[in-house]
Amino acid sequence: MIEVKGLSKFYGQTQAVDGVDLSIGKGELFGLLGPNGSGKTTMIKMLTGQIKPTSGTLRVHGINVLEDPLRVRELVGVIPEQETPPSFLTAEEYLHFVAKIRKMEHYEEACSKWFDFFDFADQKDSLCKDLSRGTRQKLMFAQAFLHEPELAIIDEPLINLDPVMQKKVKDFLKGYVNNGGTIFISTHILEIAKEICTSIGVIYRGKLVYTGRLNDPELQKRNFEGFFLDLVSRRKEISNDIMQKPTTEVPLPV
Amino acid sequence: MFDIFKNMVKEEWRMHSSLFGHRGFALFPVFIFLFTFFVSLVLPVFREIVTDAQIALGIHYFFLLLGCMIGAFGLMGREFMNRRFGQASLIAYSSRVLPVSERFIFANFLGKDIVYYFVLYILPFVAGFSLAAEFVPAGIFSIPSVLLTLVLTLSLSFVIGISTVFFLSTVYAHSGKISLFCLFIASILLLHISGNMNQNVLYSLPSLSFFLDPSVSKLLHSGILILVPSALSIIFLKIDFPQSQKSFSNSFSKLCRLLGSYRYAAFVAKDSLDLKRSEGGLGKVIFSFVLPLTLVWILLSALGRVMPALSTLTIFALVLGVLSSSMYNWLTEYDIFASYAFLPLKVSDMIKSKLNSYLFLNLIPLAILTLLALKNEPGSLIPSMLLFLTISLYMVAVLVYLTGLSPSTNLYNAKTFALYTLSVVPLLMLNIVLSMFGPYYSLVDLLLVPFALYLLGKGFEKWDGNNCQCF
Repeated sequence: MIEVKGLSKFYGQTQAVDGVDLSIGKGELFGLLGPNGSGKTTMIKMLTGQIKPTSGTLRVHGINVLEDPLRVRELVGVIPEQETPPSFLTAEEYLHFVAKIRKMEHYEEACSKWFDFFDFADQKDSLCKDLSRGTRQKLMFAQAFLHEPELAIIDEPLINLDPVMQKKVKDFLKGYVNNGGTIFISTHILEIAKEICTSIGVIYRGKLVYTGRLNDPELQKRNFEGFFLDLVSRRKEISNDIMQKPTTEVPLPV
Repeated sequence: MFDIFKNMVKEEWRMHSSLFGHRGFALFPVFIFLFTFFVSLVLPVFREIVTDAQIALGIHYFFLLLGCMIGAFGLMGREFMNRRFGQASLIAYSSRVLPVSERFIFANFLGKDIVYYFVLYILPFVAGFSLAAEFVPAGIFSIPSVLLTLVLTLSLSFVIGISTVFFLSTVYAHSGKISLFCLFIASILLLHISGNMNQNVLYSLPSLSFFLDPSVSKLLHSGILILVPSALSIIFLKIDFPQSQKSFSNSFSKLCRLLGSYRYAAFVAKDSLDLKRSEGGLGKVIFSFVLPLTLVWILLSALGRVMPALSTLTIFALVLGVLSSSMYNWLTEYDIFASYAFLPLKVSDMIKSKLNSYLFLNLIPLAILTLLALKNEPGSLIPSMLLFLTISLYMVAVLVYLTGLSPSTNLYNAKTFALYTLSVVPLLMLNIVLSMFGPYYSLVDLLLVPFALYLLGKGFEKWDGNNCQCF
């Protein structure tokens, strides 16, 4: 579903993503983990053709993202990080608006289903600007899955949701993958990845420093949080080392 | 005491400079200075046609209009700021979190607008004008004391504009739609009677009349015209913090059904709901469009009587075309592309959808023009309409090409503003001259249509290729 080779992105002098290679197959629930500012959101924006990479190639659904980003966004459902729906549409109107953009027919039922799922039908006539952050997040989640995409790329989807809704969403995501869907989720919350992902990647300072399956025996043996923190702190030492010796090749952690 | 004021000034500066860099924004007053200087060099030509008093009249009303528009934007631009800067928390909207009264914050806001825009617009304007007056015969304008008076009276005109709009907005906050309706009716009435209005009425603007014939009483009148509305606005200030969620039935789907399978139906429906439901609502249309238009028509009617060679309706159609492009600004205030970048849309799709809404909104000025033409010069109806539509299309094409989806912010970049001015001012000058030969000469502007379409196409390409999701 997702094939990435040598992906890099510079913002001016700052390198946000550094030579990432990644392959995610159908039916995976892949979690991209990393501390704040490690390049997760930039990865998502490149995968969905919202920004162009400085170098590298990307294929999503077999489509070259650089050549046809619109087709990719037609097929994929996306939850952007911290983005809010337009202020002056009501919650229901916003979902109808997205459905119209996605050229969906008979979308009313699909929209109602999401109001029921998130239990906020009583707020469907409220203006988006008046909704709480949590409710806006529910709305953003609903718009991403409204057209039942085969692949969803979602950035911190559980942020602002209460524990009950978080559980509901996690169950939904697991069910979605079990039914043949593919999810790329970006998060810095380790518990989420541990609980729902089938495979993970750890990105740190723009480099993908680990990829593996969650049922990897090596990973199973270790404490997940400890493994992640170890990985990141080791990289910190390594990157400090690199700054002193720029020609040193970074060994991947085993 | 002055902390809030100082921080508001800083905030305004940083807000502008964060959008296009300190240098880009700092050059803006420099551009105003240079532009005024070069335009003022042709002052002797103007003085062959109009009197010094009429030049003064034009400048003072221009700054009055500017004050009205800046005041309206300051009061109604909250949602725009929120969209562009995330959940912006400007000091002006922070009386809930600061231990100071809303009135005190509002008074500071008023003061900040006056000082900030005095430095940004008035000072460079008068400086450019004064410098030009050194090089060319400029009548009364070459006398230093007159120029000093001009700084004062232009500032007064500008502040009268701001305080009037603040006062009207306070009335609006208390009486809502009733005041808007009264204002709308008053504007229509003014448009109707303006043809018979004695032009001396225009000279009764206290700041202008003080400039032409200084006296303490006129200065006092100007002060009253500023202080009374400002004081009333502060005393009767009413801020509606959202107490409860507003509910609306699904008008979006109804509008979409009404527009049928039209490609941009969803966007046009969304834009119309944005305009209707946002702060100011219909007031935005009246404050920043119908009122300035009324003022322009009154001025042109007066000018037409002293200069019969000028076709009032043709020049009005021209000005209408220019002012109409401000409606594109309103439409783009509610969105940034980042809010849609994850959907199957290109920047050009968004621009095209805004242009479609713009097309619908243009029916308002078209109706105004038609009514005025039928009443005053029925024979000029067709050429005036064609002129208006052509200029409106050209203006919006220039805006799209130069500023994309952010005209109200990108235009403050000195380079962009310079390009915009160079694309517009010579055309306006040419049309004013052409209008003297008869209304049909302005049809030469139809040649602009293919160029405007080409410019739009180039604009779509330009903004689609831009790798910044801010626009």
